[in-house]
Amino acid sequence: MATTTTQTQTGSKQPADAQQKIEAFRALFADAPELGKKALENVIAELKSQVSEPRAKVESAGRVGARLGQRSELTMIVPLAPGGAKRLRAFLKMLDGNLSGGADKVGTLHDMRFVFIDNDTRMLFATSFDGDWDVYIDDFVTKIPDFLDVIDSAWEGWPGIRSPQAKDYLVKHQITAEGWYAAHPDLTVADITRLKHIGQAVDEFLDKLGN
Amino acid sequence: MAPVKEIVASNLSTRAPTLELSEIQATVLRQRPAPYFGTHVLLRIDDVRAGRELLRRLTPHIDSATSWWSADNPWLFVGISYAGLEALGVPHDSLQSFPEAFRVGMAARAGQLGDEGANDPKHWDLPFGTAEIHVGVSAFADSEEQRRRVLAIAREQYETVSGISVLGTQDFGAQPGDLNPLGYKDGIDQPPIEGSGVEPLPGQGRPIKAGEFILGYPGEAGVALPMPQPDVLGRNGTYVGLRKYQSRVGAFNRFLRANGSTEAERELLAAKLVGRWRSGAPLTLAPNVDNPALGADPRRNNDFNYANDPLGRQVPFGSHIRRMNPRDTELSRLTDVNIHRIIRRGTTYGTPYDPNALSEEADEVPRGAYFLFISAKAMATIEFLQQEWINDGNFIGAGNERDPIIGLQPDGATFTIPKEPVRRRVHGIDTFNVLRGGEYFFMPSLSALKWLGERE
Repeated sequence: MATTTTQTQTGSKQPADAQQKIEAFRALFADAPELGKKALENVIAELKSQVSEPRAKVESAGRVGARLGQRSELTMIVPLAPGGAKRLRAFLKMLDGNLSGGADKVGTLHDMRFVFIDNDTRMLFATSFDGDWDVYIDDFVTKIPDFLDVIDSAWEGWPGIRSPQAKDYLVKHQITAEGWYAAHPDLTVADITRLKHIGQAVDEFLDKLGN
Repeated sequence: MAPVKEIVASNLSTRAPTLELSEIQATVLRQRPAPYFGTHVLLRIDDVRAGRELLRRLTPHIDSATSWWSADNPWLFVGISYAGLEALGVPHDSLQSFPEAFRVGMAARAGQLGDEGANDPKHWDLPFGTAEIHVGVSAFADSEEQRRRVLAIAREQYETVSGISVLGTQDFGAQPGDLNPLGYKDGIDQPPIEGSGVEPLPGQGRPIKAGEFILGYPGEAGVALPMPQPDVLGRNGTYVGLRKYQSRVGAFNRFLRANGSTEAERELLAAKLVGRWRSGAPLTLAPNVDNPALGADPRRNNDFNYANDPLGRQVPFGSHIRRMNPRDTELSRLTDVNIHRIIRRGTTYGTPYDPNALSEEADEVPRGAYFLFISAKAMATIEFLQQEWINDGNFIGAGNERDPIIGLQPDGATFTIPKEPVRRRVHGIDTFNVLRGGEYFFMPSLSALKWLGERE
């Protein structure tokens, strides 16, 4: 989505800020094990240059979650209903752990992962996608409600995607990432698809020209 | 050619309407007459009792949607902002039952709406962006004389109650040729509503579940949306979003001249921006030259889809009408087109469009539109539209380009026109409609208006 512009840090106060941050890094590691302290000193020059450069800022992605440029991250830890883990694990295995068929259609999803933790009592769900997290929720409700409920019915207390409480359930279990990296925060899934097509077309053109 | 209202009336369904038409305000279903005349009045309630008296006096003059298809007589409609509901002494629990975006008001949602830069609420005209707008009363009529007549009735009510302040009034009306401030016929494509008693016009698509537009009925997801409480307040009500735009006619004409060397080239470019010629004739049905007879015919001017234009060579993907209703266009994001429709009631004000106005002064000559959109989830829908369909192009394969008519254009913005053998990319597109105000209103049912007025 293009409405939220990526902010960059302003230039003038950087050297002082950077020096202060270096000191803050050292203070933070004052009680770290020797190994950690030593490692910090080895990378401190690089950290200094990283915090001095203007960089895309990680912002809030609506109600919860972090956003970098066009992309947002969503991380959840949800309790699993009795029998939910067994059923969902088997379901994912039958799909060879690959959700590409259905997930492709959404068109905003960069990745998704489902991880069973704590002896199958809880699930870690992590994804990143274009735009704010709840923009297309209503579209999921009318277009793919059953795909979502097939998976999410493994979750303890999941009210169903059609329920007005569904958004609140997701927010309640979401944890905002403190650190996050995306190689191309400025490219949406649609951009990447488009650029692939352009790349192929250019290659075909050059192939013809070169023959 | 027959006026729209006769065409609509001739399309009356053999099935009785299932909506409670006598409860719903007329404007929800009744379209503008052609030509149309009207006035918007913004009011502040300075005292609870005055606010309730105003509603008691006004309510008998608010038209219901009974016989909504006939626009022969002028009519009044009323909306109340969240600050207005507070000023009317609506109980706390009830206030809390309204959606958050409505409660904080449109200016406070600038971040979600992408109202930044030139559209930032800090540049808005007063009283917009303040919490002073409590009640909006508007009149629609098919002649100037009728406008005066119905407005006089409204004035008798709000001017004689002490404790009600008039913050502003704005007359509006169709300009010569029934055109909007940029010189186009508009308001053509409206969503058909299930149970309203009228069959869709050709090209309107299947009727959309009433709950998308009116509270208390099932929506497209099969359930009714959460409704303000108590039921008498919420049921048969809806929300109206108002956005006041200033049309920068000079910038628009300069753009056309910079990118078209002949009148024909400029008019084709103007048509590509919208997807329709200025006459209203759609490019899908009249791809090369305008066809004013087609544009004027409500049975034909919306009767198309994009099955034969999958590459956007007739109607560019980024054009205004393809964005605002993609119809059968294959979208790159999973989207249910039917849940993002709005009922549109554009009201044009100010000096008519002048094709020869080129100066920067012409950009600030007061003219533009008070754009009203109606939906049972107006706040969520306009935020979706602003984020996805207006100020972005990814959903339809238009990269990060924005709506050429109502988008907020960043520096270096472009507009792509698909074409054989290669696309044309037009540079230097500017913001042609600048936002100068906006607010959300609740449009209560007639019973809810009585309930609000009679509370002690």
